[in-house]
Amino acid sequence: MNHAEPPRFATWMLEHLTSGNRDEALAGDLLEEFLGGRSEGWYWRQAIGACVVSWLNSLQVRLPLLAFTLLWSLLAPAWNILCDKLESAPIFDKIWQMAGGVWIFPALAVWIVLHSTLLWAGILVYILSYWCLGKMFQREMLRRVFLLVPLIFSPIYGATFVLANLYWWDVFAGAKLAATPMGQIADLSMLADVMRIPYIIAMLCALWGAIPQSVRTLQNSSAEFSAIESSAQSDSLALISRMDPFTLRRFFGFMVGAGLMNAMIVGFLLCRLPESHAPTFASLLIRAILYVAAGALSGVGGAWLYWKSPASPFREHAPVPFPLFALACASGWVWVPSMVVFSEQISAATAFVAMVGAFVLASGLRSATYFVLVPAQQRLSTPDRGDAELFSESLYRSPFDAHGYVIAIGLYAAAAALLTRSNYTAAALLAFSAFLFSWKRTIPLTSSFESDHEYKQAALRLQRVVIPAVLVTIWALLDGVAHRNRDAETNAALAASNGTVASEHVHPNARSQSSAYGVGGYESLILWPLQKKQIIPPLPPEESFLAPGTTQPLTIPFDGAYWYFQPPDKFPGSTAHQAHGTPLGSDIESNNFIPLVMDAHQTLGETIPITRCREIQVDIENRDNTAGFIAMAVLLTDATSPQKPTLYLGQQPIVSTEPAHFSSKSVPVLETLRFSVAKDSRMRRFNEITVMLLPDIEHTLVGPKIAIRQFQLFPR
Amino acid sequence: MLDKRVVIRSQPNVTWIDTQDFFAIIEVMKSRSYLGEFELMLLLAVIHLGDEAYGVPISRELEANRGRDVSVGSVYAALERLEGKGLVASSLGDPTPERGGKAKRFFRITKEGLRQVHETRRVLTRLWQTIPDLKLEVQRERI
Repeated sequence: MNHAEPPRFATWMLEHLTSGNRDEALAGDLLEEFLGGRSEGWYWRQAIGACVVSWLNSLQVRLPLLAFTLLWSLLAPAWNILCDKLESAPIFDKIWQMAGGVWIFPALAVWIVLHSTLLWAGILVYILSYWCLGKMFQREMLRRVFLLVPLIFSPIYGATFVLANLYWWDVFAGAKLAATPMGQIADLSMLADVMRIPYIIAMLCALWGAIPQSVRTLQNSSAEFSAIESSAQSDSLALISRMDPFTLRRFFGFMVGAGLMNAMIVGFLLCRLPESHAPTFASLLIRAILYVAAGALSGVGGAWLYWKSPASPFREHAPVPFPLFALACASGWVWVPSMVVFSEQISAATAFVAMVGAFVLASGLRSATYFVLVPAQQRLSTPDRGDAELFSESLYRSPFDAHGYVIAIGLYAAAAALLTRSNYTAAALLAFSAFLFSWKRTIPLTSSFESDHEYKQAALRLQRVVIPAVLVTIWALLDGVAHRNRDAETNAALAASNGTVASEHVHPNARSQSSAYGVGGYESLILWPLQKKQIIPPLPPEESFLAPGTTQPLTIPFDGAYWYFQPPDKFPGSTAHQAHGTPLGSDIESNNFIPLVMDAHQTLGETIPITRCREIQVDIENRDNTAGFIAMAVLLTDATSPQKPTLYLGQQPIVSTEPAHFSSKSVPVLETLRFSVAKDSRMRRFNEITVMLLPDIEHTLVGPKIAIRQFQLFPR
Repeated sequence: MLDKRVVIRSQPNVTWIDTQDFFAIIEVMKSRSYLGEFELMLLLAVIHLGDEAYGVPISRELEANRGRDVSVGSVYAALERLEGKGLVASSLGDPTPERGGKAKRFFRITKEGLRQVHETRRVLTRLWQTIPDLKLEVQRERI
């Protein structure tokens, strides 16, 4: 049995998964016992037991907080409705108009303040109840709690919103809250519960560490501080922090995250393609330099705001000088503008730029913080790369490094994400893997913290990466301009061939230009028939169809548009891409995980009385070779009426897609589906026919290769 | 201190407590937190070990006397509880290489802790004294 080293993961659990502030002593005790002859099983049992006991203790202390948070969060759905009403008040509309192009900032600020108000009120009630019980919160801690609330709430709300829409959109699509405030408070449906999640998490996180500490904890803290101070005196690093390495890492991560978020926000707001269709290299260079500078400065500014905020422990006891931290991180933030420009084009280069940026960021950050984050003991045990023998014959077995597997998994997952065109996921995975790799591989050359050397290294690193970052930004801008020019040409050609017809089908707010969303995808799509003829409204000849006693059906060849869009939209958006083609020859798929909806719309020249129509037959061509069942539904609409009433004719299975009749098709299979029209319908006439394709799970992300040939209307 | 003398009468097969005295105990317990079994053991171990009372020897002491494994995490949790009550105090020692550079946390009993240990011992002794020799009773029944 090898007693040289205890199980690493168990040790990691002890260091990271236990709450409270005795982890170091406990971990030391367990290590001492293990080296004294205890088994690995014993070590594991002790580590797991310590985690469980510490969290049970933490929870036990905070049970009133948990109960209060759950109760207070019941108000969240009603508060959300109230916030929505307040935000749609005319006064706010005027403010947004006054703000002009930067309306998003005041709107965001108002939104955060409105939603945080519920949490602030809850915290106030909680503090008052504590005060009534004779317990007091520390004033500094209270200020921190109030500042933390909006900082925690906003990202949690965003994450909850995105996740809920990604995974449960179908659950929420038809879900509604109760009508009255009391009903909303008592509402325990999934929609209401999901709305409560950000409030619960934000309040718990803000108050978790602020529960009034007992004398014991304060004593411990002072004892720890004195111990750390004594070790600091023996250490050559004068800037040692008063916090444990885990807390330090957490706050460093928070500062880096704040800078990154700020750089990304500024990038998305400022980084625009040049107006010119043929920009000069000089103009691109100046623009790239400005963007890179904006990325670095905004990152530094964001980190500085959090570093110096009253809630930050770094404000009083900075573990490293902020200028050094800023220099180290700026070498990563300069890549953000190019990443943003690439991401707006939905380019795979986003992931690679993110990877490079994360690598450089980790390298700089690790160098600057190594002597703060790595304990002196661990530093001594770290093998020096310079001392490694070239042809060593020792039987030394390299320790188990879990991060290697994590990096490998991250790279494989990123490759898979790139193949499925999930660029953001790939960017996140590649950045994470590169960051981890660089973090683990970076070891400073000096054996102790030397301020001048660190500053010099950080400045040198920044100088080295600025020029490549500017060049990559120029590349991103050039690529974006080229794509925009190509897209403009396509749109111009479409506009010339479409005439005025397209505007009838597109949403009223749709813009005729700049409909392209990116190189690899569009937010929605309108597909027109290949050979666009002059639109001749299929006027129903009165003598044949509307005349009494006629039995001949009216045949209407399909010349409308196919709409491709994603829920919760109900029609293609204002930036819908328009193209000519047929679904039989087009590969249209969702490049995110949101299902794709496909509709076909046929507008009739004149209205047809419902009472005159007995049945509608839809002739289709099916060349879909994806196994899976598809149904078809038909809707009739009276667009001449102000209410635009619709009549649902039901749905019919497309037999050729059923498993029993499915076959691989090289030529389209013809099929006719019949829909009877009810006589006693409340709708009197119609002038639009909408065909909805209702796919099963196999077709949720791809547009079915099914085209409408014609409609046949049979007289009653 | 108990306001009333707690009288526990014993009969051959039944041990019962006077109702009035029972409520007296409850009232007194409300105003004073008595030491639990594990807490008392911990305090005694801390007293016994003196200046060498940190996690490892405390756990070993408990294991040796109880005859079963002790979770070091539970030991620390209970010691934290006792420290919160002001019955023990702790201080960090110097980090040592054999502990991976981790410092020891030494515990020592406070005056209040010592007082509570004595008080608990006094109450327990008095309670035990009121109980007849159970072993003798059982032997007599068997005969």
